Amino acid sequence: MKIAWIFFFIFILYTSSQDEYENRRKLMVSEQIKARGLRHEATLRAMETVPRHLFVPTSGRSFAYHDNPVPIGHGQTISQPYIVAYMTQIVDPKPDHKVLEIGAGSGYQAAILSQIVKEVYTLEIIPELAEGAKSVLAALQYNNVHVKTADGYYGWEEAGPFDAIVVTAAAEHIPPPLIAQLKEGGKMIIPVGSPFMTQSLMLVEKEKGKIKTRSLMAVRFVPFTRSN
Amino acid sequence: MLSYAQWDHFAYMVISIALLGFGASGTFIAIYRNWLLKRTRYLLPVLMLLTSLSMSTVIFFIRHFFGNFESYLLFLDISHARVLVLSYLAFFMPFFFGALAIGLVYVKYVRNIGLLYFSDLIGSGIGGLICLYLFHIFLPQYLPGLIAFLPLLGALLIVEKTDILWLPVTVLLYAVIPAVMVFHPASLQMSQYKSLSKVLNLPGAAIVETKPSVYGIIQLVEAPALRFAPGLSLSYTSEIPVSGAIFCNGEWFGPVYRFQREDSAFFMQSTTQQLPYVMHKVERVLINDGATGIGAAHAVSNGAKVVNVVEPNSAALNIFMKQKFDQNEHIYTFPEVNLIPKHSRSYLISDNSGYDLIVLPPINAFGGDAGIKATNEQYLFTLQALDDIWDRLNSNGMISVTVWQDYPFRSSLKMLALLVETLKGKGIDTPDKHIASIRGWGTITYVLKKSAISFDELRRIRRFCSEMYFDPLILPDIQKDDLQQYNQVEDERFFEYVRSIMAQDREKFYRSYPFNIAPPTDNQPFFGQFLKWGRIKSMISNYGWSGLPYLELGYLIVVFTFIQIFIIAIALILLPLVKIGWKGKGKSFTLVYFSCLGLGFMFFEIVLIQVFSLFFGNTIYAAAMVISGMLIFSGLGSLFSTNLGWQAKTISIVNFLVMLLIITYSIVLISLIRYFIDQPIFLKLLISFILVAPVSFIMGMPFPMGLRRLQIVNSRLLPWAWGINGCLSVISTVLATIIAIERGFIWVMLLAALSYAIASLIGNKPNFSRVKSWRQYRTALK
Repeated sequence: MKIAWIFFFIFILYTSSQDEYENRRKLMVSEQIKARGLRHEATLRAMETVPRHLFVPTSGRSFAYHDNPVPIGHGQTISQPYIVAYMTQIVDPKPDHKVLEIGAGSGYQAAILSQIVKEVYTLEIIPELAEGAKSVLAALQYNNVHVKTADGYYGWEEAGPFDAIVVTAAAEHIPPPLIAQLKEGGKMIIPVGSPFMTQSLMLVEKEKGKIKTRSLMAVRFVPFTRSN
Repeated sequence: MLSYAQWDHFAYMVISIALLGFGASGTFIAIYRNWLLKRTRYLLPVLMLLTSLSMSTVIFFIRHFFGNFESYLLFLDISHARVLVLSYLAFFMPFFFGALAIGLVYVKYVRNIGLLYFSDLIGSGIGGLICLYLFHIFLPQYLPGLIAFLPLLGALLIVEKTDILWLPVTVLLYAVIPAVMVFHPASLQMSQYKSLSKVLNLPGAAIVETKPSVYGIIQLVEAPALRFAPGLSLSYTSEIPVSGAIFCNGEWFGPVYRFQREDSAFFMQSTTQQLPYVMHKVERVLINDGATGIGAAHAVSNGAKVVNVVEPNSAALNIFMKQKFDQNEHIYTFPEVNLIPKHSRSYLISDNSGYDLIVLPPINAFGGDAGIKATNEQYLFTLQALDDIWDRLNSNGMISVTVWQDYPFRSSLKMLALLVETLKGKGIDTPDKHIASIRGWGTITYVLKKSAISFDELRRIRRFCSEMYFDPLILPDIQKDDLQQYNQVEDERFFEYVRSIMAQDREKFYRSYPFNIAPPTDNQPFFGQFLKWGRIKSMISNYGWSGLPYLELGYLIVVFTFIQIFIIAIALILLPLVKIGWKGKGKSFTLVYFSCLGLGFMFFEIVLIQVFSLFFGNTIYAAAMVISGMLIFSGLGSLFSTNLGWQAKTISIVNFLVMLLIITYSIVLISLIRYFIDQPIFLKLLISFILVAPVSFIMGMPFPMGLRRLQIVNSRLLPWAWGINGCLSVISTVLATIIAIERGFIWVMLLAALSYAIASLIGNKPNFSRVKSWRQYRTALK
């Protein structure tokens, strides 16, 4: 009988914590994303569904739904929820799309995309992060996400071309292989500027063989406190 | 060490506060004078032991007990403010204990003040020079432990016969601590926001070589995933090779790049920096601050016949030159490339060659410097520097400079303003005929051409833009439709701003723009300073309080430091009055006279460092030479002052002389510096010592003379005077920077002269009628 009671309490605690995270996700979407004018239905649905807290280390879980990036180790972060949503919306993902992500990090951005598009290919240069992302994505059964440990500079040639490319790390130049793997009419979003200071999100579009860029907005990626 | 772990301005802040240890020692002695004087015999060696102990362990304590500090997070996370305060306290200790020992000696043996002050200044001067040498040999983390042996030696030297047994044993025991710190030095963790930290985050990245130097810590990094191609065109299809990189104090110096002459797809030709080479054929090129030679390789790839590269950082170049490249891959071994190890501005003044193209170093790090360089003097980006460059151009010569696009727009507009005003200075009122500019997705390149831009050049620029997906920004025949064919900006007001600077009434625009984008001058050489105090409220409302460090961190920290120092200094000055009383003979004289000396001396020293930075082309050499030279000659002046006595009239005349000399220097010094700038370094050192000597000699006299007089009037005020002088010296270092940024160095110089003028007047005021002769004076001292 005692054991039954213990299981009952564990069940109650588990479900209430799940409810709590679900509530936080809803708040995150309404207060941080919708309030800033993002209206892309599929993106908002994905942001409400994907359990962001499971993509951050246990120590940072209580901050998972804050309006900040969260450190995930190896000097990397999981981006601020608004930035994830914005970058997703701006590439205009469609259900039949194939998307490449450069810099899987925790796997969260890939998980969001996987809820909207057909296939997501994500590359991560740091093996430990790639392994972590792979196991979380597998555990949550995001089966249309393919993770590979590789230098994002070369893209994923055998899987390309892609309808959209999402680059999560800023670079001083845009790698030529990525431009080559972008489909005609495709869109690439990339942060321009130091990852710790003021940045501008830039949209790169391929139209009639020509490449055009558009600075979308200045964003200040809130810095994180050193994790170790 | 602090500059390496964070940035110069952080070092500036901590050391400035810590130097208040001198002021605090005066306050402490003023309050506990009798108690301390009775125990000097024991206290002096103990204070020296404590100085040594705190000096050698300060970094260890900060690293292990106070946590990792981030100056960027000060405005976001209160815990970093706590670490900052504790760091102040830790760095304050060695200064306080050391100054307490010096102050006690001054007060107890005031009759020998001339000799004591001389010894103090000479020691400080020589110490500064030795430190410069030590920077060449040891990494900074080894120095606190090494230097900490000196106070221990001092403790041994002053041991009295009665203490001969126990003190040496104690000193030897204490010597274990600095010894441990020498063999196992502590170092501060580098900020995660530094370029080196970011590169080390790349997989496989590692530091393979570290060298100490006067420029800072030079490090060679191998990074298998690092590819250097800033602002590359989106039409570029070849591969970018992997490169290592060299860092100086954790900041990017240059890539370690193998250049091959036959490389037909050299990436630099697909950046906006190609603009001058597109316009017309160039044969003679001067690259300023050429670092590891990417600019030189760019010029060679475009067929330049003579490429002169000026780069002062010889320590970083030494590491680069040692790289095991093939003979035909090392740019500095190419026959047409000449490496000149000088400061660019000094070289421009001394060089008589003519060039087809002079390239300035890129402005802003990728993503902007966030005002980090606000307080750095940048002598290559002033109206006078552009004047010097103009004089080196052939009739069709060009100046080229590339700026990373920042938002809010600051550097890009200030650079344009600088070019336009240079043309205006040459009597050219049609900048649109002489300036061409193109814009990529990340960079803007400006070219200023001495002659008017030709139709043929315009055609080539347009074709290049079209091939590279760049947009013209400024061309004589530019149309609105040209501006954003490939790269759309987020805020289209940028183009209006550019037009406003190109227009005749640009002054009005400088005044109305929310950031300071007026062109810098040699008098205010702060290209990276954009803050307008009147706009700070709107900045906070637009970007939030926490957004401020991303805009103007450097200058804000200097002001923040000044406010703290001012409050602490005032408290330290007023505190002894509680003990010695608010009224009494000589107090107003002490306060005004020693304040003026502290302000005047440091104001003048700061300006001299600034002027000699131009002379030596290196701030570190300039600071070491000026500080050491001034201390040594002031020490001699102090020794000489013992012959001059105490009379008010003499003190007044000496201060008046200093004032006259400062005014004379403010008129003639720059001309002398420019005249001698081409001399070899040893002659330059000799010339600078000769220039510094006369004024420093006289400046060494007022302080000991004032103390001697005070001994007669009211000897209880001696420690207070020492404290006031210390506090004001620290205030003036920070205040001088603020005045220089706001009004220019000439104002700092004039205020130094004014301080000595007031000292001259006040020196004549107090009534010392009870002492009328040397005999009475000596009797009074006894």
